[in-house]
Amino acid sequence: MTYQNVPAPVAPEINLGDSFVTTRVDAVVNWGRRNSLWPFPFGTACCAIEFMGIVSSVFDVSRFGAELVRFSPRQADLLIIAGTVTYKQAPVLRRIYEQMCEPRWVISAGACASSGGFYDCYCTVPGIDEIIPVDIYIAGCPPRPEAFLESIVQLQKKIDKESLVEQRTVGI
Amino acid sequence: MIAHRTHVPQGPIQPGLTNEQLATLLGERFALTRDASDRWDLTLVCKAEQLREVVKYLRDEPTLSFAMLLDVVGVDYLAYPGHRSERFAVLYPMKSLAFRHRLVLKVMVDEEACVVPSLCEFYKSVEWAEREAWDQYGIVFAGHPNLKRLLNHHEFVGHPLRKDYPCQKRQKLSMNDPMIDQLEARLRSLGYTILERGETSVGQAITRPSAVPSALPKAGGKP
Repeated sequence: MTYQNVPAPVAPEINLGDSFVTTRVDAVVNWGRRNSLWPFPFGTACCAIEFMGIVSSVFDVSRFGAELVRFSPRQADLLIIAGTVTYKQAPVLRRIYEQMCEPRWVISAGACASSGGFYDCYCTVPGIDEIIPVDIYIAGCPPRPEAFLESIVQLQKKIDKESLVEQRTVGI
Repeated sequence: MIAHRTHVPQGPIQPGLTNEQLATLLGERFALTRDASDRWDLTLVCKAEQLREVVKYLRDEPTLSFAMLLDVVGVDYLAYPGHRSERFAVLYPMKSLAFRHRLVLKVMVDEEACVVPSLCEFYKSVEWAEREAWDQYGIVFAGHPNLKRLLNHHEFVGHPLRKDYPCQKRQKLSMNDPMIDQLEARLRSLGYTILERGETSVGQAITRPSAVPSALPKAGGKP
């Protein structure tokens, strides 16, 4: 590449032509994060069957980049709670959440995970947000696969608004 | 799972005794009375003191051969309309694999003592069933080898299927039961000997970090 003799007021980047783009770090990082969500399914009941539906070919969550299901919390950044959570299970769920690295997001799928559902009794947690923070709630008993996909789209929109320099979790 | 293969019938199932014949036989031998509230099947009311004797007879008598104890059912009769006797009852539905007869033994349980003899030495399957009945109703099964909670967590206080338990009262669990006693029992059954107990990692507590579950074995305890 030969350098032109540019007068002083003009920026020297003009010599680079169209070989680069400028953007914000947040935009690049969020683009990567939102399009490669690795879900960890915490499936305890029938909502987990619907989760299997969206992972398999008909609904195909890989269209949204979230098809790589991990069964180790160390490798996942999206925790999907699909099903009823009892108080006996609550420490397990909490521990799995703690084992996930930041950034991490949580989807509460269905009536039971979001509110306890119709299990209004002594043994069921009335919504997992008593234990861990939740980003997206899905209604339904169980939710349709379309609702699952919608929740992933909503989560992607939420990730887009986040900033790399801000602390994500305020305190749990 | 059938524990004793010898009880499995080899040929076609024999007709066995009718409900009336069973009620007469056991009424004469053990003075068991028929429960009138069971209008369709045979329920015999049995005293707690004679329960083990009756069950042993029902299992071992060749003409009866009740080889299967299906369940251990607790009942709380608190505020039951027209109920005058003891508050609790334990029901033992039994079935014969060789004959086509079945019956239910019913033991009334007093609220004060709240104890019935355990049947673990006769039927291995009742071990968990009795643990469940104790967990949910607080009925003690005297002689049970390991009477600990089965369904509710180990920090639970009270017995939730009692009618005076407020059914929406929730109880949080701060850390999981590490189930060391079950692990040790399994290892012993495989022929291992436990020489030493180390620290048990139970993870972080959820709500009460200072809470230490009583079920945890002490480090450096007796081997």
